[in-house]
Amino acid sequence: MIYLDNAATTKMFEGGADIYKKYACQSFFNPSAGYNKSIEIAKELDGVREHIKRRLGTTKGSIIFTSGATESNNLAIIGSKRNGKWEYVFSLGEHPSVYNVARFLESQGHIVHFVGLTKNGQVDYEVLRRVVNDKTRLISVMHVSNETGAVNDLVKIGEIRKERCPQALLHVDGVQAFCKLPFNIEDFNADLYTISAHKFHGPKGVGVLYVKNPSGLKNIVYGGGQEGGYRSGTENVPCIMAMKYAIENIDVEKNYQYVKGLKDCFIENIEKADGVSYLQTESPYILSLSFSGVNGETLMRALQDKDIYVGVGSACSTKKAGNRVLESMGMNIDEIKSHIRVSFSEELKLDEIRKACHEIIDTYYTILEKVK
Amino acid sequence: MNVILLRFGELYLKGHNRNYFESTLIKNIKSMLEGEEFKLEMTFGRYVISNYAQERQGKIIEKLKKVFGLYSLSPAVEVDAEVETIKSEVVKIDCKNKSFKVFVKRADKSFPISSMDFAKDLGELILDNNENSSVDLYNPQCEIHVDIRMNHKAYIFDKIIKCQGGLPLGCSGKGLLLLSGGIDSPVAGYLMAKRGMELEALHFHSYPYTSEQAKDKVVKLASLLTSYTGDIRLHVVSFTRVQEEIHKRCRPEFMITIMRRIMMRVAERICEKYNLGAIVTGESLGQVASQTMQSMTVTGSVVKEKPIFRPCIVMDKEDIIEISRDINTYDTSILPYEDCCTVFLPKNPVIKPTIKQAENEEQYIDVKSLVDECLEKEELIQIKREQ
Repeated sequence: MIYLDNAATTKMFEGGADIYKKYACQSFFNPSAGYNKSIEIAKELDGVREHIKRRLGTTKGSIIFTSGATESNNLAIIGSKRNGKWEYVFSLGEHPSVYNVARFLESQGHIVHFVGLTKNGQVDYEVLRRVVNDKTRLISVMHVSNETGAVNDLVKIGEIRKERCPQALLHVDGVQAFCKLPFNIEDFNADLYTISAHKFHGPKGVGVLYVKNPSGLKNIVYGGGQEGGYRSGTENVPCIMAMKYAIENIDVEKNYQYVKGLKDCFIENIEKADGVSYLQTESPYILSLSFSGVNGETLMRALQDKDIYVGVGSACSTKKAGNRVLESMGMNIDEIKSHIRVSFSEELKLDEIRKACHEIIDTYYTILEKVK
Repeated sequence: MNVILLRFGELYLKGHNRNYFESTLIKNIKSMLEGEEFKLEMTFGRYVISNYAQERQGKIIEKLKKVFGLYSLSPAVEVDAEVETIKSEVVKIDCKNKSFKVFVKRADKSFPISSMDFAKDLGELILDNNENSSVDLYNPQCEIHVDIRMNHKAYIFDKIIKCQGGLPLGCSGKGLLLLSGGIDSPVAGYLMAKRGMELEALHFHSYPYTSEQAKDKVVKLASLLTSYTGDIRLHVVSFTRVQEEIHKRCRPEFMITIMRRIMMRVAERICEKYNLGAIVTGESLGQVASQTMQSMTVTGSVVKEKPIFRPCIVMDKEDIIEISRDINTYDTSILPYEDCCTVFLPKNPVIKPTIKQAENEEQYIDVKSLVDECLEKEELIQIKREQ
């Protein structure tokens, strides 16, 4: 199997699964109970919090464990919402777990602005600069686009905020960036940052919301007051510990260079093929490709028969056109329909990349021959 | 004792065949109520279901409402046909603040009071026992029926629940339903089943142009239909090569015409192979290019020995949708997976093809071997009735 859909999810580290089992079957205690074994677990969770903050490049703020990025994004946005004249700003490139929360705010009567993308997949900074003002409560922009691998210039966005709306909070959905790109959160001064464990070989069902100043956040679920009251519900200890294992076992710099080599190799092997085009973006982990004249979904299904797995992003069919992100970048319906997404992991070998490219091109031409 | 009275619709029209229709209906009722405890009796022109657990009554009625051939049913109380016993039951019916009418039928003429007089007596009894009630012979809010039968039993009921009508399933043979995954074809299947036709279904899929989900959706639709039609055998045929061949060799505007002609040929061959008596489609006149009179003439002309039934032919889309909601297939039908008809879709399909034109196009492909190939790779899925 050649798995090229690592932006959808990654394979969990075997070691992480062992850790999961340890905290599920041996050290299974509820961190909120009062006896020493529980207190021990609570301390371990605090250790994980410090570890994640260090990885983010900060010593300030709090780490809230959640059930995943969708919950983190909901908590970040809805938890920051205030009544009154406030406005909210989102990019059009956001994942549905941000975009649909924005639409929810809109439906509740809040003023919501959407900022489009430029052709290279980044937020249109000039539009962003125009849209924000002294009434802006929150700006939510993703770090790396899950569709294209475009990396937003968060430092620049941080500067725009400082200049135009210093009162606004900055939320960054970092799902495709954390443990993948080297960065320091203090460089762009995000107030809220979303992380999902299963995107970097951790388990599914656990995520993190980093909050610089928790006192500004309101909880969105009510219950026993865990996680400082910001996220009630017993912490998913086995998953959190397995996530920590993944973080500890990822060398971001080394992987970045290695995966960059994979992406370069992929591009080198595919760019000369007629009808194939790709989007040059900064993240080495994600590559968006177009196969002129062939439906991306058809190609994806034909490739699975060769044990090669690629992504197609949001589904688009003849009846239901639509990929909001690619449309926002100015792609037409034919380009969108012929789009596939390839996403890498450091576990892939160069040989596999070459083989995959060969098979992808071969499959593409076989289908093209039949449909043209 | 609580019972359910069943009435049937057209069976009385069937003269000498009535026994056959009735025995089929009885078999279907028993099969629909499989797993329930009950007794089914035929008493003087009526079926009575009794001896079931009271808490199952609602469920049993829901199931019976799906039996074709039943016209209506009534939950009723069965008592001995004695004046006082009947009165003691009628008095329990709640008619407070309502207008009502009493209907008495007296098949048993030995009952001591005439129907008219007894209805009057019962009316007075109800008036005395229900505040603010009144008699309204023309537009009553509450209809109270007392049916005195020859078996010396009386049935008292105040509800007549409409059922499906139609003919008992199986009375009209077995047909092959072309099931695409859209809204119309399940409705067509339901309508034919309502006329007593048992069904098998045929689906064409075009992997990898269509997804596995598109096939799963059709399995789900067939499975939803089984609650009316009983078990369905689904024939799944790969159409990928046929479409690729037509796409490659025929003019694009004839894609759908030729494709549907081949579908019809495959359907007829499957009918022959499995001894099915008709082809059933969800076509509706003028709905799309392939459903014009001319298109249907051209696609139908390849079928030589079986009738093609198109029960939706006269229906508006809205009416088809309404039935699909009633039979609970609509939400599945609108799931957004492409079916094989949306692959290789030409921009301008021909809307008034002729048989001659179609035959000309078909010279360029090997129709016979394509049809043979479809049949060779046929996949069979047995779908059991949803309980």
